[in-house]
Amino acid sequence: MTRMDDRPEGVEELSMRMSTTRTQSGLETQPTYSPSDLEGFDYGNDLGDPGQYPFTRGSFPMMYRSRMWTLRNIVGYGAPSDTRAGLKRAFESGSAGIDIVWDSPSQGGIDPDHPMAVPDVGTDGCSVACVDHLADLLQDIDVTRTDIAWHVTATIYPMLGALLRRQGKSLADMQGSHMPDYLITNPKGFGERLMPARLAHRMAVDTLEHVAKHTRKWACGFPQTYTARQRGVIAGGELAVGFAIVRKTLDDLVARGVDIDSVAPRLAWVCPADIDLFEDVAKYRALRRMWAKMMVERYGCTDVRSQRLRVACHTDGRALTYQRPLNNLMRATVQSLAAILGGVQSLETCTYDEAISIPTPEARHLAIATQQILIHETGVARVADPLGGSYYVESLTNSVEAKALELLEEIESRGIIEAIQSGWLEEMCDDINDRVDEEMAAGERIMVGVNAFQDTDEDVPARFDFDRTSMTQHLADFADWREKRDIPRLRAALAALKTAAASDVNIIPAMIDAFDADGTVGEVWGTFREGSGYTYDPFGVATSPLADASLAGVTAPGSEGAS
Amino acid sequence: MPQIRCVLGMVGIDPHNKGIRTLARRLRDEGVEVIYVGEHNTPDEMFRVAVDEDAHLVGVSFSTSNYSETIQMLLAARRRQGAEDVQLIVGGLIHPDHEQHLLDLGVAGVFGPGASIADVVALFSRLYPDLELRDGRTAPK
Repeated sequence: MTRMDDRPEGVEELSMRMSTTRTQSGLETQPTYSPSDLEGFDYGNDLGDPGQYPFTRGSFPMMYRSRMWTLRNIVGYGAPSDTRAGLKRAFESGSAGIDIVWDSPSQGGIDPDHPMAVPDVGTDGCSVACVDHLADLLQDIDVTRTDIAWHVTATIYPMLGALLRRQGKSLADMQGSHMPDYLITNPKGFGERLMPARLAHRMAVDTLEHVAKHTRKWACGFPQTYTARQRGVIAGGELAVGFAIVRKTLDDLVARGVDIDSVAPRLAWVCPADIDLFEDVAKYRALRRMWAKMMVERYGCTDVRSQRLRVACHTDGRALTYQRPLNNLMRATVQSLAAILGGVQSLETCTYDEAISIPTPEARHLAIATQQILIHETGVARVADPLGGSYYVESLTNSVEAKALELLEEIESRGIIEAIQSGWLEEMCDDINDRVDEEMAAGERIMVGVNAFQDTDEDVPARFDFDRTSMTQHLADFADWREKRDIPRLRAALAALKTAAASDVNIIPAMIDAFDADGTVGEVWGTFREGSGYTYDPFGVATSPLADASLAGVTAPGSEGAS
Repeated sequence: MPQIRCVLGMVGIDPHNKGIRTLARRLRDEGVEVIYVGEHNTPDEMFRVAVDEDAHLVGVSFSTSNYSETIQMLLAARRRQGAEDVQLIVGGLIHPDHEQHLLDLGVAGVFGPGASIADVVALFSRLYPDLELRDGRTAPK
């Protein structure tokens, strides 16, 4: 007997066995790589120096020596005043960039007093339903001077436009960014019911056209493949979905006569950093190369800023586990390292408790410290593209790109809108999730604490909770505010919005007018839906101010005799 | 012998549907007849479908934190739809501290993080010992 441990006879020691030789997305790997795996490799054509076309090795010559990535933090819960307090804490704890996330009702264009929204209001983001809420949230922030990143929320762009108008400021000075990839919110779970694919796509094209012409300081996180990854696609698959959305959108902008060089420099690709370190580094490298070649070969872009892609990254919440949440600190650290070795321009590190609740202050502090330690203690940011030239990483970069191009062709043979509308893309994600599930059941894919090395005496994790009395007040204030509005003005603005929705003009100016006239997210988005041929309210419960006779002080046809 | 029929879906705005879509497939593999109604239903829609389809159970998943309120809306909808004989099971990011409270409200089963398909199937066969899974299989006791 030479066994060094006291395992019972016949029990395999799981910790000593490699669970799989395939990457997270399913690419098979070899035990080792050599020059023979890079046949035909051409440094200038395949890589280029950092800051040189095709930007495989990074978007800037000096990378993090000339500009450190932006340490971003995500904030958003409760009423606007709750989130305002969270913003203050995040700025104080050293976060340079702030991302504000809205709650699901606000993101879905549903008012907080909608019966299906009430339980969710403020629970997974900030409740923002009108310009007054936005003004309250941004009380201490000048949006012409501060770079706030807003998540995927279709109405934030026109709502900010309305806020600036009220403040007497120019759209041309509007700063910050948002993620106009509304299409991806359909397969993420909003579905045709909440975010019809055709409507989402038009809103994205209208927004980007408006950005190109009117808000020259505004940036866009587009596409947003973080959500696609969350739903199922991995690495090459993620790139395929993102490129399908980008190509359809830019093609439509070209058809409207928009010069892509006026849009592309303001785009940053938003994607997750996942736990398979080398595959994820390969993903960023393949992504920049594919982007540069698309801009030159498909769109004839000459501006170098169009060709060199900036990547905004958020570590992937899917890798985090509810079980033993402190283990997530290790996961988020490796994910953050993948992003840095991959050369991203901004990074949000998930808090370790995200699988349990919205972040506790302690967890938020640790997420920020993770990046500070990576920057200042590990030295990993010293040199651009430190893995460039590795036989393995170069080979993997080629494989991820090949996989992405293969799936892109399949998606485009259907058309991305149809692929989403028909549920095909979601089915494909379900298939991938199924496969992952089966691999986990078979022990071919190990998640520590989930399907191996479980603890039986685990404590129930602590969770963040905020005082919901502020939500009761928020809803009461909202009800009062609704009553005080100038209804004839609102109805006129909504009627104009409905007409615009039914035509092919850019919808943004009419939305700005409607928000300025005290339209709510539910009213503005509902009217856009209705004018585009969908129901006003996806749940069939709320009614449009345009249809509500009591608001107009007139009797609607057919309502005679009603009290 | 009749088969176990279960309506699965999500209510309200919660878009986090990956878990329940995977569950729908797994339960089908286990021989349960699953009617997946998708996301963004009202509580009444969930039980209306259950009545129309003659289902034994309704399963709803939650990934936002204030599920207690929505679960009470579901139980009220069950009464409104005259579907008191249909069992409600819930799952998703449900905190263990809330489990007993939900069972006391009248929920038949709570499947939070870490629950397995086997746990769900075991409850089904405990609730409906006279029913069988498709293909003539019986649930593990």
